[in-house]
Amino acid sequence: MSYTITINGQVHKTDVNGDMPLLWFLRDTLELTGTKYGCGIGLCGSCTVHVDGNAMRSCLMTVKASNGKKVTTIEGLSKDGSHPLQIAWLSNNVSQCGYCQPGQIMTAADLLAKNPDPSIEEITTALEDNICRCGTYKRISLAVADAAKQMKGA
Amino acid sequence: MSSSNKDLTAISRRDFLKASGLSAGGLIIGVSLPVSLLGSAPDAEFQPNAFVYIAKNGDTTIWCGRCEMGQGISTALPAAVADELEADWARVSVLQGDANKKYGPQATGGSNSINQMLEPMRKAGAAGREMLVAAAAQTWSLPADKCYAKLHVVYNHVDDRSLPYGDLVELAAKLPEPEEPVLKTRDQFRYIGKSLQRHDQADMVVGERVYGADAKVPGVKYAAITHVPVLGGTVKSFDKAAAMAVPGVVDVVLIPRFENAYGSVGGVAVVADNTWTAQQALTKLKIEFEAGENGSYNTTQYKKQLVKNVEAPAKKEFEKGSLDQAFEEAAVRHKATYVGGHLSHSPMEPMASLVWVQDDKCEIWASTQDPAGIQSTIGAYLERKPEDITVHVMASGGAFGRKFKCDYVQEAAACSKAVGAPVQLTWSREEDTQTGYYHSCSAQHIEASVDADGKVTGWLHRAAFPPIGSTFNPAVVQPTAGDLEAVSKHPYGIENMQVESGMAKAHTRIGWYRAVYAIFYGFAINVFTDELAHAAGVDTVQFLRNIYDNNKDGELQEQAKRCRGVLDKASEMAGWGKKLPAKHGMGIAVHHSFHSYVAMVVHVEVDGDDITVHRVDCAVDCGLVLNPDIATAQMEGAVIMGVGLALNTEISFEEGAVVNSNFHDYPVLRIQDAPAEMNISFINQEVSPTGLGEPGVPTLAPALANAVFAASGKRHRSLPINPA
Repeated sequence: MSYTITINGQVHKTDVNGDMPLLWFLRDTLELTGTKYGCGIGLCGSCTVHVDGNAMRSCLMTVKASNGKKVTTIEGLSKDGSHPLQIAWLSNNVSQCGYCQPGQIMTAADLLAKNPDPSIEEITTALEDNICRCGTYKRISLAVADAAKQMKGA
Repeated sequence: MSSSNKDLTAISRRDFLKASGLSAGGLIIGVSLPVSLLGSAPDAEFQPNAFVYIAKNGDTTIWCGRCEMGQGISTALPAAVADELEADWARVSVLQGDANKKYGPQATGGSNSINQMLEPMRKAGAAGREMLVAAAAQTWSLPADKCYAKLHVVYNHVDDRSLPYGDLVELAAKLPEPEEPVLKTRDQFRYIGKSLQRHDQADMVVGERVYGADAKVPGVKYAAITHVPVLGGTVKSFDKAAAMAVPGVVDVVLIPRFENAYGSVGGVAVVADNTWTAQQALTKLKIEFEAGENGSYNTTQYKKQLVKNVEAPAKKEFEKGSLDQAFEEAAVRHKATYVGGHLSHSPMEPMASLVWVQDDKCEIWASTQDPAGIQSTIGAYLERKPEDITVHVMASGGAFGRKFKCDYVQEAAACSKAVGAPVQLTWSREEDTQTGYYHSCSAQHIEASVDADGKVTGWLHRAAFPPIGSTFNPAVVQPTAGDLEAVSKHPYGIENMQVESGMAKAHTRIGWYRAVYAIFYGFAINVFTDELAHAAGVDTVQFLRNIYDNNKDGELQEQAKRCRGVLDKASEMAGWGKKLPAKHGMGIAVHHSFHSYVAMVVHVEVDGDDITVHRVDCAVDCGLVLNPDIATAQMEGAVIMGVGLALNTEISFEEGAVVNSNFHDYPVLRIQDAPAEMNISFINQEVSPTGLGEPGVPTLAPALANAVFAASGKRHRSLPINPA
């Protein structure tokens, strides 16, 4: 069985086992390691990607289920790190170890795409399934709010 | 498919650049490390420590020998070099040093990187600056003291000539390296004390930061592992047929326990074409484990036993004054017992490394806090010399003390050796949760006396917790005198004291968890102090002030003074004593650990069992702050970790094995439970810098528990307050 998945605009045909989670297809097969493994059961959000424009846990989404879909990973969020969230993450010095941050950013990008003017409560709710063990939550909230402001102004 | 973002050969290229730097005419500047940091006197073949390299085009590379796990050390230390070097930070690249004793101790823990490395790194920068200035002076035939460096350029006071660093490196490289370069004074600092942006942030937000789990080399295989669930247990039997039949499986590898404090507890690994296949095949293994001597370990029972051990006389390890007399003459006496559970570090990146064992070499890419520990452990395992083990230090996706130990690296080495290929082993979250080096569970009993003047006169403190020493020597079955020093040398300086050690034989591996014993000492001492203040009818902040002011112990004057400093600052920041709404309360805690001083005021709201942390005000005295923003981030992170361990997280054992498995039953703090407001203030920056990674953790839980008491009248003496 062969599957076709568009990842960051590039079409990939693959005959890997369709039950393989998209996470491991990205990380091990394509060597796109920006998408992180954190828990494997959809509890931490480190593996968040966009599938047809919606934030999804790539550890829970199989290659089979991704067939024919458009996937965006952190590597494809912008060409050059210029997404307002990426810029806001830098200006707020959000990251400590940085491991969870691709997942945080992908979740936040989904929020802003659907709700360009979120309240702090809405930002918190959107990100409550993304764990950061370094404890950067305060800065994450500020950065999302900053990015929203930037996007509105743009 | 491009794999440029994880092209590990890039590291080799950089090494090549470094090696060829001299012949290419760049300037290499060493760092002179004291013998105490090198471990042995440099021998005749000892090479200068290349920490800094300036290329002919001026591009500057600074190597960081300490490990980066999110704390920002790979920015803070190189920035100090750049400051002394008068380098333009925009022209500086930072590279992580591989394991090499030339960097001095690379083990990154105990919050001592800045303590140990700041001066040598600054000197390297200053030496480079002086050499470049000397080269310019020679070029211009001017005295060196008429020349000065500023932002990658040397100028002089005589005319308007200038030379960029790149033009000077060839000549500078021929000049002698000054032995005692003159360091800048504080008013001359360009980067130290400023919130310079971390060098590694940009890679993180585009997914290009390469962690140990992301390391790849051509031909890499992937492994998953299941461990012996009980410490000291064994794999009795296993049937690998079904696992081997899974397409893509390369091999099933039995890994016996490696009798080394940093070695594997034992288990079975599957090596496959990808991680998922390895994980799937692992579930098809039929493994029978033998539990062994720790098979009845049950933390509920064990903690009860620890309580018994501290509520009866135990082994006396420290005594001063006359406790009996103090207790006899007391106006107020109080006693209480405090309990804490095991904790798991649970960094977001689970244990992971890539190892390639070959006949003539062994190359390792690992997230680690202790590169030399990997060299010695893998050297012992492979029966090779430590220096023959090459360790590339990768960014750690969090560590918190766990990645000091390299059992996961040794297991990857076992897999690589078995299949003759490079193997990337990534532990599942479940294995990470269940195969830790846990923070000790603990019980402490305190009895104290207050005299008629409100002065604390006597303090009896018994502590029982399986000590970290047990991981290195199973004969260690209770805290040592050294383990109890946080009490016996506590800044309170109580005149009459007795400190006792209760039995606590370990039944699991105990390790350093961020802030280590300070977590439970800080909790017990601060909650007890709050109780004692209430018993004496004195406001807790005032009561603490009195204790510090009454400290007459000559060796503890500085500690008492600095504790008092953060106490005053934090209580002022929080508006201590102001009227709060119903169900709201404030609590305070002060703790001295890792040479630094922290006071926190936590403001909570309590509604039934629901505890909401509204605000945390935190005063820190860690002396000079190298990078205020990174330092603030460290404290914010410590607050978050502190709230999590105060309220929710505990590792429990039944029948010798860990019960928790993933973030549903080890619920680390999430964004919705983070305090809405955190205020961090650094004081007393005139003195030398001390550690910051850990000291923020111990104060949160006791301040929170004291706040809950203030809000609700309910006294919590066990952590976590609301176990999952």
